[in-house]
Amino acid sequence: MAEIVLEHLAKRFPNGFEAVKDLSLEIGDEELLVLVGPSGCGKTTALRMIAGLEDISGGDLYIGGRRMNDVLERDRDIAMVFQNYALYPHMTVAQNIGFSLKLARRSRSEIRERVKETARLLGLENLLDRRPKQLSGGQRQRVAMGRAIIREPQAFLMDEPLSNLDAQLRVHMRGEIEALQKRLGVTTVYVTHDQVEAMTMGDRIAILRDGVLQQVGEPDEVYDRPANLFVAGFIGSPPMNLAQATVEARNGTLVTRVGNTEISVPDEVAREQRLERWRDKPVVVGIRPEDLHAPGQDGRSSTLGAFEATVDRIEALGSNLLIHFPVDAPRAETAGVAAATGGGLEDVPLIGHQGAWFCAAFEPRSAVRVGDRIDVAVDVRRLHFFDPQNETTTRA
Amino acid sequence: MRNIRRWGPGLLLVSPSIVLVAVFVYGLIGWNVRVSLSDWRTAVQSSKWAGFAAYRDLNADLAWSENVHHLLGFTVTFIVGALLIGLTLAFLLEKGVRGEGFFRSVYLFPMAISFIAAGVVWRWLMNPAPGDRSTGLNVVFEKLHVGFLANQWYLGLDWGMSAMAMPAIWALSGYVMALYLAGFRGVPEELREAARMDGASEWRVYRHVVFPHLRPVTLSALIILGHISIKVFDLIVAIGGKQLVTQTPAVYMWILIYDARDYAKGAAIATLLLVGISLLIIPYLIYTVRSEQRV
Amino acid sequence: MTSTTAVPPAPPIPARTRLRGGRRVQRTSGRLFKYAALAFFAVLVLMPVYVLVVTSFKDVAETDPSHAWSWPHVWTTAAWHQAWDQLSPNLANSFRLVIPATIISTILGSLNGFVLSKWRFPGADIVFTFFLFGMFIPYQAVMIPLTQLFTDANFPEGIPRLVFAHVVYGIPITALIFRSYYATIPQDLMEAARMDRAGMLRTYWSVVLPISAPAFVVTAIWQFTSIWNDFLFAVFIINDPAKWPVTVALNNTTGSFVTPYNLQMSAALLASLPTLAVYVILGRYFIRGLMAGALKG
Repeated sequence: MAEIVLEHLAKRFPNGFEAVKDLSLEIGDEELLVLVGPSGCGKTTALRMIAGLEDISGGDLYIGGRRMNDVLERDRDIAMVFQNYALYPHMTVAQNIGFSLKLARRSRSEIRERVKETARLLGLENLLDRRPKQLSGGQRQRVAMGRAIIREPQAFLMDEPLSNLDAQLRVHMRGEIEALQKRLGVTTVYVTHDQVEAMTMGDRIAILRDGVLQQVGEPDEVYDRPANLFVAGFIGSPPMNLAQATVEARNGTLVTRVGNTEISVPDEVAREQRLERWRDKPVVVGIRPEDLHAPGQDGRSSTLGAFEATVDRIEALGSNLLIHFPVDAPRAETAGVAAATGGGLEDVPLIGHQGAWFCAAFEPRSAVRVGDRIDVAVDVRRLHFFDPQNETTTRA
Repeated sequence: MRNIRRWGPGLLLVSPSIVLVAVFVYGLIGWNVRVSLSDWRTAVQSSKWAGFAAYRDLNADLAWSENVHHLLGFTVTFIVGALLIGLTLAFLLEKGVRGEGFFRSVYLFPMAISFIAAGVVWRWLMNPAPGDRSTGLNVVFEKLHVGFLANQWYLGLDWGMSAMAMPAIWALSGYVMALYLAGFRGVPEELREAARMDGASEWRVYRHVVFPHLRPVTLSALIILGHISIKVFDLIVAIGGKQLVTQTPAVYMWILIYDARDYAKGAAIATLLLVGISLLIIPYLIYTVRSEQRV
Repeated sequence: MTSTTAVPPAPPIPARTRLRGGRRVQRTSGRLFKYAALAFFAVLVLMPVYVLVVTSFKDVAETDPSHAWSWPHVWTTAAWHQAWDQLSPNLANSFRLVIPATIISTILGSLNGFVLSKWRFPGADIVFTFFLFGMFIPYQAVMIPLTQLFTDANFPEGIPRLVFAHVVYGIPITALIFRSYYATIPQDLMEAARMDRAGMLRTYWSVVLPISAPAFVVTAIWQFTSIWNDFLFAVFIINDPAKWPVTVALNNTTGSFVTPYNLQMSAALLASLPTLAVYVILGRYFIRGLMAGALKG
């Protein structure tokens, strides 16, 4: 058990590509930190640097207080769970799990004991004599974990361990891994590209993009107060609605004008997000789908702000109803937003409305149909504002 | 890459092989080149520098120019023959036939036979005796009423070396077939289906979709066959022995060294063979290693 | 034939999963033509075998050119006995050559292939290319200095010299085969071993070697065939006829035009039996090994 400290960690590959730029993070003892971001953001490279599988180009790495830059991976007392499990194909489950102990010259009885114990922890007791190719994906994943657990290392490193599993199994295993980590109390760094996984599993989340740390914090914080447009667009599914807007003064308070719609900004919100400085300036406004309500749905009146929406498309998910409607304000076309949603800056809708498209999450049995003209109420306490130039929140 | 502790052991493990190859391949080649530039022309060893004297003698040597002609004749027939037959066999098999495994094994089995043993049979098959005393293939031609095809085979003055290429074609067509078959099967079926949907006839599908895919295979085959042809020794010796009428540079070298003891001249031939092969192989090697890196 | 003529082993041939093709009517006649053509070529390829077998069992009297192609009237193994008498010591020499040479060069190839693909060092690809070129050189070029070196170093004469030569000049092709095969092993397997605290040799022994069987099969069969069939090295390196491997002895026996045909054919067949046996019996393992990745184009 130990803390892991990254100080200005950087990785430059021989061809010049900078996978990780100036990454500083502190992972506390027994904490489960999730490194999340789109493909190519540097999260796996960062993990491999912690493991010792990649050389560190710049900065320092400390594990348990010791500087690890020049320490070989085998001497770091760290265990890794690989994305494709990397199980030894010709060895049985028991041999796979016990391999590191065998190399450490432990006695056969000790190995047998500890393998059994680990297998029991993971529900693998009946599979000890099978070979990897006889196992299902989930079973292989657990063997990979067993191999790591048995070493009782200072820290676990997990490289997208669930990405090769079916959706249902993934949901189940998420809980198992989290419970296991809590039970064993081992510092864990967990890499994933799935933001849902990140939100549900981590004590804290660290979001990376192009090798640069965007934000690190507890899931609530990252969700409720995203530091920039990338985080805002990346975390949360369906993603936050974003549009270009302006801030204007009205009768002593501030409003934000999104196309033809005027939405009042409550004083606490304006204060907290330092909106005063943005009077008469363009901003990007964001509101999450679940903060857009059906008419009459929440008890509050919609006089503070509502969109006149013509329902264009409905997605019935069973757990809620997603209403898609056009907003007559320009889309928030920044690099960060594009990167967050995986699209390209040049992506334009094939046909139809070229402005912003908003999505509201209604109760599943709402009586709304395509073509209906409804008022979509905005929960103004949950508005987010961003600087269109440098993409950070207006708070900065 | 600072961690020599990590990759050091690997280098250590490979180093004996590196040393062996450095000495026995590159070192000896260097030695050979040096001998070709010396005046060691008899059984008495000598390492005096003689410049390109041996090469000049070679150039003036009538036997040498015959050798080169023979080699050209052999190479052209061999390569064209092996490519055509290999391609044909692969083409016949590529869509899948019953007993494909059987046919493949049959066509490939000559690779298990030494050229010497093959030489024994083919020398008999290509027996030049005509008419009443004809045997081998000549007698088959007579029986099939195509007696005009009977000829002197490898002893023939004009086409001798082309005939000599026949056992080589026999031995290596199967290999070329394997190369082309893998090439054919490497064409994604979707490509062919898309072409058919676009209205292409089967022949057109081959011409525009499949054959372009085979170009790299043809290149590889050409280079491999070419280098074999330059080096071929066993087969010539087995069929034609040391006779001048079937001699190639590779055989001549052997004669010069063992019988005539003209080491420098023999080494000159070896060096020229090496240069010839390098012109083929070095670009090929660079091309393969580089395309591997791209992947 | 495969001996010193450096031919990379044929690539794996994927099976045809879907039979596709032209119109129905054309199919049948097209198919007939196809089988006819295949059979024709098969006959062409097997024709020399027919001659070899048939002539080897003939009596001397029947080896007259006019009876060249006919089935033997009397089947006799006289020629075989003669061939055996003449060649058996050389057969023994060949075995004494091939077995150690194959074993050593295969193991060496495995170690080299492993390092060059999985435990790489800076410049590993250059070293590999450096090896590869060695496969294509005309061996005539190095035979003289090689024999000289053997003499100077007082290397034990005869078969040991040949074993050494084949091991050294087999380094490129064996490294090529194993390297291609090991490239199909995922790199994270090596990393997992490293995290389990395994060093290089330990990783090779416990993780890589146990799954190397297909490559060993391909390499061993390839080397066995190449070395058995080699003529060039043997004729340059071994001077004492008693120590000749069977290919040289065969050439010597059959080179003279005085030797009767039945003896020539039986001798050629006898000399080829081991490699043919390997081909027939182990051929499918060879193919299987190739399919497992022991050579990628």
